[in-house]
Amino acid sequence: MLTTNRFSPDITELSVSAWFYRNRTIAGFDNPARSLYVSIRELVENSLDACEDERVLPDVSVLLKREDETNQGQDMLSSGPEIFELVVKDNGKGIRKDDIPVLIGKMLTGTKFILKQNRGTFGLGGSLALLYGQITTQEPIEVVTGRQDEEHGYRIVMRLDIETNQPVILKEEIIEKAPHEKGTMVSYKLQGDWIRSKKRIIDYFANTAIIVPYASLLFETPDGEVLHYDGVIDRLPVSPREMKPHPRGIDVELLKKMIGATRSRTMKAFMKNSFQRVGISIAEDFLTYSGLDAERDPSTLDQKELVTLMNALAGFDKFLPPSPKSLSPATTEVLAAGVQRLSPDFVVFKQRAPNVHEGHPFVIETGVAYGGGLDSGISVYRFANRIPLLYDERSDVTFRVVRNLNLRNYGLRKEDPIAFVMHICSTKIPYKTVGKEYIGDVDIVRKEIELGFKDCLREISEKVRRRDRVHKQRKRENRLTEYYSFMAETLTSALNRNVSSDALVGSEGGEFE
Amino acid sequence: MSETLGNPANIKVLDLIDRVLGTIADTIDDGEFPEIGYYGSSKKNVNYTEEKGYISVDDKASFIDGRKVESAKTIAGLVYGLTQFKEHLEQGLSMSLRDFYYLHKVKHVQKVMKITDQSETNRLINLCERIIRHRGASVSREEFGVVSSPKGTFYGDVTVSDLSGKRLNCNSAGEYGWFISSRPFDVDIHDINIDAAVFVEKEAMGRNLIELGLPESLRIGVGSLFGQPGRNMRAWIRRLADNEVPVLILVDMSPWSLRIFSTIKSNSIELANIQGLATPQANLVGLTTDDFWGRKGMLCEIEHSLESMTNSDVKCAQQNRNIPSISQDPILNKQNEIMLKQKRKGELEAFKAFGYPLVELKKLYIRYLKTKSSEYDVKLI
Repeated sequence: MLTTNRFSPDITELSVSAWFYRNRTIAGFDNPARSLYVSIRELVENSLDACEDERVLPDVSVLLKREDETNQGQDMLSSGPEIFELVVKDNGKGIRKDDIPVLIGKMLTGTKFILKQNRGTFGLGGSLALLYGQITTQEPIEVVTGRQDEEHGYRIVMRLDIETNQPVILKEEIIEKAPHEKGTMVSYKLQGDWIRSKKRIIDYFANTAIIVPYASLLFETPDGEVLHYDGVIDRLPVSPREMKPHPRGIDVELLKKMIGATRSRTMKAFMKNSFQRVGISIAEDFLTYSGLDAERDPSTLDQKELVTLMNALAGFDKFLPPSPKSLSPATTEVLAAGVQRLSPDFVVFKQRAPNVHEGHPFVIETGVAYGGGLDSGISVYRFANRIPLLYDERSDVTFRVVRNLNLRNYGLRKEDPIAFVMHICSTKIPYKTVGKEYIGDVDIVRKEIELGFKDCLREISEKVRRRDRVHKQRKRENRLTEYYSFMAETLTSALNRNVSSDALVGSEGGEFE
Repeated sequence: MSETLGNPANIKVLDLIDRVLGTIADTIDDGEFPEIGYYGSSKKNVNYTEEKGYISVDDKASFIDGRKVESAKTIAGLVYGLTQFKEHLEQGLSMSLRDFYYLHKVKHVQKVMKITDQSETNRLINLCERIIRHRGASVSREEFGVVSSPKGTFYGDVTVSDLSGKRLNCNSAGEYGWFISSRPFDVDIHDINIDAAVFVEKEAMGRNLIELGLPESLRIGVGSLFGQPGRNMRAWIRRLADNEVPVLILVDMSPWSLRIFSTIKSNSIELANIQGLATPQANLVGLTTDDFWGRKGMLCEIEHSLESMTNSDVKCAQQNRNIPSISQDPILNKQNEIMLKQKRKGELEAFKAFGYPLVELKKLYIRYLKTKSSEYDVKLI
């Protein structure tokens, strides 16, 4: 094994940003089309997180513009990557001037041991997107930000130093603003392929509009079209709380770091203070179970004992399940409002009770929408931690559940206009692959989704049945009226006397049992 | 044809139609949903006796409840149908089942009734026959003026006046004789100069008998059924039987032909409500299994001409076991069982297999008819 003091001269230390740049395909920056989509997505999600953290109804505008407009109108299919300018603007509270380089320009690695549900797929925010832009265009990044009640805002032009993971400020100036104005605008240039990513990006906005119906989204495409989604509800979901880690699902490295950071001087205090839902009695029970001395100083544990401790943590079955307080479900109310963007006739959403997978709590929310503006046939909308999942639909556990549902049991057919909506929130979403586009077929997750959908279907089926009954009743009345008016007419002319069906089936509908 | 307007039968039917339409009109006017009862064609409502064939017994009534959508449609169809019959009768015009179907293609009718298949309008007529009753018996559709596919001819010295009002003799009405009226009950029979009437399943043999001069030689009438006889033919046979003319039936030796004979003799379950279609006195003269396989069978010599029964023939014979008018008739039942055992069938054309000169053939026909009819105590000269 190599140790840190035995570097060979060929080996250079990589900064976090350099490592991510070299391995950017993992984060989705593998070709110009996908990179454009992922860049927009990362920045939009950054902005949404920023607004929600401050409990502000998000208002996010995105402008994507071709750098070289003369290219337009050429052969669309053969055109390759182009340079675009991407502008993302939000109404968050803005960034303090001194924080700008750090927040925007540096890739942060966390040192706090907390679990909290957040959007970012990789916890890098938009930094990697900005980095990608700089790499492909060599152009600097411009940030304009302003805070409420401050007299002026700032405009900063900077670039990132990949090797040192440090921002380099090129220009900094004060700009005028009204006192109530606030928010942040980031603009930079990047290489992308709009033609091959157009559908994804537009789908992304449509789906995001469903999962964050309280946000206003605006997207101006390079083709000059404007997609605009106004907020349809003015309630934000409860924001997630930061929680200590749950003892299950902890590895030795993490244990070492936690022991290094703790101020507890006994194992008992360490267990109680560093983990969630561990009290004195559980800590004592656990230490008895693991065979470690409760009064021992955690910093004196050797490697072998740490492994023993880790195995004991995984094997002890009296820990309480992880707290769902670190989760922020979208809530059925918000989801139902979001699905109104598809203008269905009926919507039912259900939230399942929190459950646990590999030491991480998760909450499943399911919904079924029926009829109205929906297209015929089944469609599936998937969301994880309030971001849409757009690809690999058929591999996703949600799709498998939907495919195995027996709709006929609910009086529905596969050709009916039905939309299935699934939202999972968790401190660790059980994605199947590094691409993080779909959720794996985990038994406990599948079961929750299945029960959720079945619950929704029961109510939808009742609603549809009731509507069909009313329809049928009305149709029956119409037909009866038609038949009896026809009889009255026929009899009138055949018998040479006036026969009327009004007393029987009056024009106002009449009484039918 | 103006005579039909004053026809007492028509006046009676028109009166019945008016009464039914008037009742429905009153009910609707009063704001009540009409309800119509009738006796369906279920086996419960039909009895079979060897003496009378199938007769309806009105055991279990069915009801059309106007509150139900489908029933309202049926009643609307009934009302429309009856008004059409009424108009046609008043004008002295008949219509076919197909005509009746097309009357539902009138735009404003089509819009309401949405009928796309003739079976629906046929069912309506059948229902009319069951609903409109006179002295406990159904009024047949012919009396409403609905006449469909009349067929059959009759040759022989019988003088009649049919609906044309003309007086004619059935032996001088063309090469086949008289084309049987669509409404034999309204035909006047003036004179009968025959000792028996032979009805032949196949038109070709019927014509041969006429061509060979058998009606004159034997003083008989010869009718051609043209396969399964129509309602008019069955009614005509009944008219002759009612006038004490012995009825002899000559059909193939096959399970299907047993059905033809049993329909003439006993009517059918489906039409049990229509009177005057059964002729219990009808006699099966041939071809019988005894002709080929009996000890003194007249056709033993041409037994080799028999053909094998097909699968559908066998199936037909098996189903015959469940038809009361065949299974409960000793003669027909025996024929059916022998055929099932032998799995072979014979056709009227078999006579040609003798290879006789025509003079001999005529003698054979005469001998055959005389011999076979004498089994039923019918003497031919």
